[in-house]
Amino acid sequence: MSLTNVMSGWRTPALSSWPARWMAMPGSFKVGSIILAAHVLFALIGVFWTPYGFAQMGTGIPLSGMSWLHPMGVDQIGRDVLSRFMYGAHIVLLLALAGTTLGMVAGTVLGLVSGYLGGLFDEIVQRLVEAMISIPFLALALVTIIAAGPALAGEPALIVLVVGLVYTPRIARIARAAAMEIATREYVAVAELRGESTWSIVRREILPNTANVLLVEFSLRISYAPILIGALGFLGFGIRPPTPEWGLMISENRGLLIASPVTVFGPGLGFASLVVGLNLFTDGLSRMLGQRSVVGA
Amino acid sequence: MSILRLVISRVALSAVTLLLVSLLIFLILEALPGDVATRILGRDATAKALEVLREQLHLGDPAFSRYLHWLGDLLHGNLGVSIATGRPIADVLGPRIINTLLLSLLAFAMYLVLAIVPAVIQATHRGTKVDHAISVVTLVLLSLPDFLLATILLFIFAVAMPILPALATVSDASSWLDNLRAMILPAVTLAIIMAVYAIRVLRDSLIEVLRSDYVRLAELKGLRPYAVLWRHAMPNAIVPALNITALNLGFLIGGVVIVERVFSYPGFGTLLIDALQLRDLPLIKATVMISAAVYIAANLVADIGAVLLQPRLRTSR
Amino acid sequence: MNNNKGVATMTQLIEIRNLGIAYGGQTGWTDVVEGVCLEIAPGEAFGLVGESGCGKSTVAYRLLGYGAANSRVQTGQVLFEGTDLLQLDARSLADLRGNRIALVPQNPTTALSPGMRVGQQIREMILTHRALPAGVSMGQRITELFALVGLPDVSRRYPHELSGGQQQRVTIAMAVSCNPALLVLDEPTTGLDVTTQRQIIRLLSDLRSRIGMAMLYVTHDLALLAQIADRIGVMYAGQLVEVAPCAQLLAHPAHPYSRGLIASIPSVLQGHARGSGLRGMLRRDQMAEGCKFEPRCDFATATCRSTPQVLVPVADGQAVACMRWSELADTQHSTAAASTALRPERQSTPLLSVDNLSLSYAQSGWFTEWLGKRTVPIARDIDLELGAGEIVALVGESGSGKSTIARAISGRLAPMSGTISVDGHRLEPTLAGRSVQQLREIQYIFQNPDASLNPRRSVRAILERPLQHFAIESTPATLETALESVGLHAGYLNRFPEQLSGGERQRVAIARALLVNPKLLICDEILSALDVSVQTKIVELLLALKEQHAVAMLFISHDLAVVRQLADRVAVLYRGELMQMVDTDALFNSPLHPYTEMLLLAAPGLRKDDYVPKPPAMPDAPSVAGNGCPLAGRCPRQVGSLCAERRPAPQMTQSGFIRCHIPLAELAHHSDVAVSARHVQVSGPASPLLSYRSITP
Repeated sequence: MSLTNVMSGWRTPALSSWPARWMAMPGSFKVGSIILAAHVLFALIGVFWTPYGFAQMGTGIPLSGMSWLHPMGVDQIGRDVLSRFMYGAHIVLLLALAGTTLGMVAGTVLGLVSGYLGGLFDEIVQRLVEAMISIPFLALALVTIIAAGPALAGEPALIVLVVGLVYTPRIARIARAAAMEIATREYVAVAELRGESTWSIVRREILPNTANVLLVEFSLRISYAPILIGALGFLGFGIRPPTPEWGLMISENRGLLIASPVTVFGPGLGFASLVVGLNLFTDGLSRMLGQRSVVGA
Repeated sequence: MSILRLVISRVALSAVTLLLVSLLIFLILEALPGDVATRILGRDATAKALEVLREQLHLGDPAFSRYLHWLGDLLHGNLGVSIATGRPIADVLGPRIINTLLLSLLAFAMYLVLAIVPAVIQATHRGTKVDHAISVVTLVLLSLPDFLLATILLFIFAVAMPILPALATVSDASSWLDNLRAMILPAVTLAIIMAVYAIRVLRDSLIEVLRSDYVRLAELKGLRPYAVLWRHAMPNAIVPALNITALNLGFLIGGVVIVERVFSYPGFGTLLIDALQLRDLPLIKATVMISAAVYIAANLVADIGAVLLQPRLRTSR
Repeated sequence: MNNNKGVATMTQLIEIRNLGIAYGGQTGWTDVVEGVCLEIAPGEAFGLVGESGCGKSTVAYRLLGYGAANSRVQTGQVLFEGTDLLQLDARSLADLRGNRIALVPQNPTTALSPGMRVGQQIREMILTHRALPAGVSMGQRITELFALVGLPDVSRRYPHELSGGQQQRVTIAMAVSCNPALLVLDEPTTGLDVTTQRQIIRLLSDLRSRIGMAMLYVTHDLALLAQIADRIGVMYAGQLVEVAPCAQLLAHPAHPYSRGLIASIPSVLQGHARGSGLRGMLRRDQMAEGCKFEPRCDFATATCRSTPQVLVPVADGQAVACMRWSELADTQHSTAAASTALRPERQSTPLLSVDNLSLSYAQSGWFTEWLGKRTVPIARDIDLELGAGEIVALVGESGSGKSTIARAISGRLAPMSGTISVDGHRLEPTLAGRSVQQLREIQYIFQNPDASLNPRRSVRAILERPLQHFAIESTPATLETALESVGLHAGYLNRFPEQLSGGERQRVAIARALLVNPKLLICDEILSALDVSVQTKIVELLLALKEQHAVAMLFISHDLAVVRQLADRVAVLYRGELMQMVDTDALFNSPLHPYTEMLLLAAPGLRKDDYVPKPPAMPDAPSVAGNGCPLAGRCPRQVGSLCAERRPAPQMTQSGFIRCHIPLAELAHHSDVAVSARHVQVSGPASPLLSYRSITP
């Protein structure tokens, strides 16, 4: 019973106007949301317009450093880094969203059913999940990318699949733990005593009551997804060039670190700001929903 | 007696997990539909090269027997032969593992300090400016991708202020002091990566423990704050942090790959990347198995440690 | 050792002056304690009683100088031997805590540090306050303390290795280890068995007479206080409404709230007279400037609403905060007259028939089974019969297996052997095997109201779901009628569980169960989590429902007083075996079985009864694994090794059976003697309030 639960306050007439609800939200949530909104806007613009083309060469003197025309500098073949960054923005967001959603759906279904049913099914699923988690996520991702073969290499769909693959067992674990806790509640027993089917119980009794945990989990995972995708790009296993995926950009420009550091730190700062926004949003969300905020892990 | 039973059952479960990992790896790499050889060598490979590869990897044999052979080899300690270099994998792995191990130990030591100190400060000064400041710093560091953090540190300490070497080359030739200097940057990077995840959990766990009934009673018994914190609160707060530390191993092994790459440290991580880029199947399988084994072993230790620290868990219910 | 009764002093040990405490929330500061003044003399036991949420614990903790993080003291002083505890610095406070003022916490399981041995926890306290008596070693002192509270030397044990009662004794030993002047006890016997509760109370009385410390005993259970307190203070909505010497309060309560509280407490000595509950609920939004109890008071006038009440002394040591108290002193608190409940006709085919049921828990998990299966037997040879419209109570202490039997009947646990039949048809052991009709006929109500309702669904949705699932026709009026029958109005339909109190949630659970027209209602300790005044109202509700709907009930409880009000027949369970099955009246008038006698003796009434448990006759002859009577080793009337070796066969009585090796005639004779002795003890000077409770043997 959390008296400070803002969500429940919505049901009582106390806080019913939107501005009031906004003011009552935790600070981290507000700041995070604003940053995220800015990034989405930025990405949206980047789809349709960038100062120069993202693959356009010769836009300025190579390695010329920060300037009004080129706030993030120019790389060694003359491409404007800011334009590449702007165009790459929507890629990161979409990939992160798609991959996390995939992992979320698969992981939730698996975890909730397994946690509720228990028994042999649960044991088997648990072992599988644990095995998948034991493989370091980067290694798993890279191995899967290799195994997909040259046909799929560099395709966005593969990245989405890989992110989903990495996330499914981790989310399943959380969902399972949440389901197990709810499964012992008396109202679930009441439904069982009525003879309701497993699917009906998971859908009506368990899912709504694990929604808080799962929502925070979603937010958490999507906060880390850009980093994962960026790491893949950084190591050269991400989207095929010349698509300006952020991780790949930073990796490519690393060689220019001494000559023109802004080509690395410009995108780096932008990248970090997105993740900061996501993390703040997650932190605030978890506070609002009465969960202990575990940003990370 | 029950402790022994618990340990045995945990070890057995871990073994099962490791077995499943091997199955998984094998399935992904060699049992997906499609031609394995083409996947490895690419579409432009000559038919002759494909033949040779198939010969080397015994791709003619059915998948299941290949798996069992490989498993049997592993259990005998034979890690196979690298197709890229032709050398036995064990020879290649040995020195790399040692390097990464040293790096990890150094990083772990730093991690302990970097995690515990801020968490205790935060928990005991909850709500103050110090608490918020540490939270902000932690959040920012958390949001930096590993490769970015590594690059930033590299820039600051090796380029802008060249006090540490940019390339962390360690070899038997150089003195141990030089080697140490080379390891500092990558170790600090790793330590920070792990610590930022642990600080939050440790802080929350400490705060919750500080609110518990038994800490309250300890305070109401008239014990001094020092005694309340270190004798009643910390031992019980450590346990979730132990779990997190085991989880951090996952980040460590992942982070090792990237950090070693950025600093060109000749360790396990760079070996994995090289193996992947060269599509060296046996080497890939061996390195991934070893990373998984390390992770599983670390979790096992953490589990058993938790049981020893919390006598309550000894009676398995 | 240091005993502060040295110099005869007129200064009180504790003086609380005008204490006001507020809690901070989203909407600002709310007063939870207002204007509380009380005094405790050295060596005096002061009881603080009230419903949950009245502020009694908040006041008690301030006696240790402790307040919750979001609370603050608005006004007042808390003087301990003249020093204001609220103004002390942390160091001085730490010196006092544990040393001169000690706490016995409510929940010993969570209050003892899980990773530290209990001996060590006591040791550190003695060391911190340097309270080791001269010439005694630490080890000796600790053994001494354990002996004082009736424990063997458990210093090497961890808290989780001890039972609830043992843990509480440890906290008591810890609290008295430095010979404090004042002991603050925060509901110290919550969650313990009745017999254990009595033992703890006895222990505390004992300690008090030996060490001479004062006590502040906070509780909601007046009956327990009656056994130990010298004076009692009654709190309502953050204010003290009455303070009086214990006997005086129980015999002549002056404040309407105290009167209502005392009247609502059921007792094993009553006939079928229903305890009448207090009207309404504590609602802070309904309170006006004046008397806080006014919305629920039967005697309130318009002036009551606008005039704040203050505590004024009215008699020797008695103070009341009610300006109309003298007018009320002669009125009878309205109670229902003693009536004999309608006993339903015993039918030929019982509704529910349980034969030879045996239950056990297998250790779960296929893996652990592979490592070595372990089955824990829970219950054995249970035979029960329930007629239509009949209420049968299943009583026993914790661990007796009563809840497990209920689970088996409902189908959630497959029995090891035995059958369960409804209307003559055998029921499949598990839910999956039962027909929809059968599932509908048996409805279950749980103990924990907080977890019985899906927090994410409105009350309307919660009530509609069973109707949907069983495809029962319903009109919008159906739901409203269902709510009204449990005493809630239609406005509740759109509310969510978290907006309801515990009692209201339980009512919704009952409404939900009745909506499908069940034949049998299984009530699994449904009152344990509720305040006493709320309990009474639910009991009233159940009796009304029984008459209206003719639904049979299997009522599981450990509270004999409630059982007396409610049940037609009673089955007594001990360690998984049925000891006795008998009509309710017969049980309370002549208990017959030694275990039943023990339970009745331990149930606290509203007068100090100097309870002394009868010691076991042969403590060295317990029953061995599955043979013999389970009561062997604890039974005060054990007849020898026979009890330990052979299970007693059932002896049929007029309304049921009894399992005991002692022949029926001898049991009956002994019972009569014991009961009449108790009558003599209890029937003191008749008071207007107690007159309707005269016992008819």
